[in-house]
Amino acid sequence: MTTFQNAQDNGSHSSGDNQGFGQRVDQIGSEAQQLWSNARSAVSDLGQTLDIKGRVDRNPYGMMAAALGVGYVLGGGLFTPLTGRILKLGVRLAMLPFVKDELLGMAETALRGYEAGHASVGGQSGAAGIGTSPRTGGPGTIS
Amino acid sequence: MEMNPQQIQDRAREIQERIVPQIEEARRNLVDLNTRVVSFIRANPGTCLIGAIAAGFLIGKLASRR
Repeated sequence: MTTFQNAQDNGSHSSGDNQGFGQRVDQIGSEAQQLWSNARSAVSDLGQTLDIKGRVDRNPYGMMAAALGVGYVLGGGLFTPLTGRILKLGVRLAMLPFVKDELLGMAETALRGYEAGHASVGGQSGAAGIGTSPRTGGPGTIS
Repeated sequence: MEMNPQQIQDRAREIQERIVPQIEEARRNLVDLNTRVVSFIRANPGTCLIGAIAAGFLIGKLASRR
């Protein structure tokens, strides 16, 4: 750090003032340097603690979504109808795995019922068709 | 238009043969795109995070304006 020195020494009192001023400048400079190094180490410590690069490496899409969410909240979109819609959609999607089994069971039951009804109708028409004239749009053709 | 089951089966097989390669191609394209996007995010994490925050900020601003 440079020390302020007066080139022209005009008396002892003035010299003492200049030395005091120079010392203060030196002190301020060293304090500023220390503050800067402290700030840099704090930032690097924060970076190591948060481990942003590692987190992005492990889960890139999750981190992007989190950053998007942070920006959304900072932009003031938290208490808006859009948030309500997104939450509703999220709840529905979260409920989907619980409802899926039930829906599949209902669909299977409906399919079995349809197949049973179709088979019974086919059996009845087959029994009624014995000894009668063949129909034009008989089984085997789909219109 | 009348079609018997054999015709329906043939038609379904024809559609399947036409569509399955397209689906496979689309799947390969999506996998390739995903790989490129992930590698870009891993190469530029700061840029992507700041961009995502800015995009979220804009969306939040637009949502709060309505």
